[in-house]
Amino acid sequence: MSYYPILNAPGCIGWTTICNFSPNNWEVRHITEKYLNVTWCQEGTWRSKNIGTLSPDKTHTVGIADIASLVPAESLPLLSLTNSILPARSDILPHTDTERTNYPAWRAALGLSTAHASTSYQGEIDPFPAPGSLLTFSPFIQFGEGVENYLIFLNVEASAVTRSARLEIYDSARPELLKRTVDVCNNSAAVISLDDLGFSPTDLPVIISKEMSAIPLYLSRTRDGEYLSLEHTHPPASYVVHGKRWEAQKLLKTLWFSRVTR
Amino acid sequence: MQRHMERLRRAIWNYKQPLSLIPELGAPISDLFIWRNSAEWETFFELTDVSGLFADHTMSANRYATLFFFDNRGNPFFEKRLNFGIQRRQTIEVSQFVSGSVSPIGTFCVFHSHIPQAVTDLGSCLAERGYLSYRYLGAPLRGYVHGNLDAISLLPNQSLKLLGAHSFLEREYRLQHELRGPALYEIAIVNPSRRDQLVSCEVLSLSGEEVLEKQDVQLSPKGCHLFPVSVNPSQPVRVVMTSHLVMARPLVFRTNEQKMDVFHG
Repeated sequence: MSYYPILNAPGCIGWTTICNFSPNNWEVRHITEKYLNVTWCQEGTWRSKNIGTLSPDKTHTVGIADIASLVPAESLPLLSLTNSILPARSDILPHTDTERTNYPAWRAALGLSTAHASTSYQGEIDPFPAPGSLLTFSPFIQFGEGVENYLIFLNVEASAVTRSARLEIYDSARPELLKRTVDVCNNSAAVISLDDLGFSPTDLPVIISKEMSAIPLYLSRTRDGEYLSLEHTHPPASYVVHGKRWEAQKLLKTLWFSRVTR
Repeated sequence: MQRHMERLRRAIWNYKQPLSLIPELGAPISDLFIWRNSAEWETFFELTDVSGLFADHTMSANRYATLFFFDNRGNPFFEKRLNFGIQRRQTIEVSQFVSGSVSPIGTFCVFHSHIPQAVTDLGSCLAERGYLSYRYLGAPLRGYVHGNLDAISLLPNQSLKLLGAHSFLEREYRLQHELRGPALYEIAIVNPSRRDQLVSCEVLSLSGEEVLEKQDVQLSPKGCHLFPVSVNPSQPVRVVMTSHLVMARPLVFRTNEQKMDVFHG
């Protein structure tokens, strides 16, 4: 099974609902009671703590406040379900010894809430290879009075050794003009405002990291917290189906990485 | 021995039951997206020149996308050709194209006119799995959700071919999401296969032990349906979709007073 992050974003409270039942009736036959764990990276070490058990067919919601006494505010909490207790400390993100499914993947509800609204998506995260890279085109920025837009750069790698990478934001129609660079760290969820970059409703932002992979999540919210929207973009491989999809992704990355460095 | 038995068991579910059918090489592919159009709901699609991302961005002037619209029974009722902006995002107000439908919901697909040679050379097909947004009650924010299935292809003779596969065996898609009230959830399902499909939506107690409600629908190819599930604050529930579709992944709308959230299963 994968890991399930608890997200955090300005003015929002993160929560994750994890399920101990299979998403289909044919890939996993027997569900057992599992340990519910929280894992986070602190001072160059993965730390894990068992926070309970989850019986078959049960769900459990963990909010950021529930693990605040365990996980430092600057760390990304990762939930997991396992058959055995995870090591309290490790250099490598512990392997989860539980069932995996493919059609669909075993997911959790990853949500953000304010006092007035809530949004979520069905997600999971597995460690990315390091070093990796990211290319994403985002049509998610929303406009209007009091509307705020954020990129949540969600990365997990197996190694607990902290490393940083440069994230670059461009307008895809003018890739020679760098709009912003941001330093991001592995094993974290960096939150980056997209509002003061001069994008218009017809601009297609392209976001690039040549050194680190991530799931790019986009949060839009009204300043009063009345309305929220959260979704992630597809990896470039999703622009094609069948054949050598990963070669297509490589081709796109090579093309766009060269465009922005002209 | 146990491993062989497990392989055999899995084979029954996998043999000749792919997630989707292989399209003709060179044919553009699209998801079947759900549109909603009513006094409460508006639908938007983010149109970008996907093929232009693979090529020199100054060459996209002659490329376009063709949108095909269907009602909830899968009947076609409108087509629209739209030109691309060069490396631009166009937020298409879908509702302006579907006012001719008697149904408040339906499906649509988006095909790109140009397939980059580099994509064909890789044995791949260009896919539009794009991004939709929905506005509820004129809210200042739209809720975004992505497509995720290679559902339909456009053949060279301009006919459409559905790519969704169906299974010999009845399959459950168990939404790994706790439905919490007070809210109205609408569980949306599309039939991307070439046959009519009976789809059931079971509302279960959170423990999964009790079936609280069951709704069935017969879905035509390219058709769609919304299963309404009203959830009380005192009784969170979960949902299981049962059908012969290989993966009956629903789109979920949640409304509560003036607020809306939308996400994929």
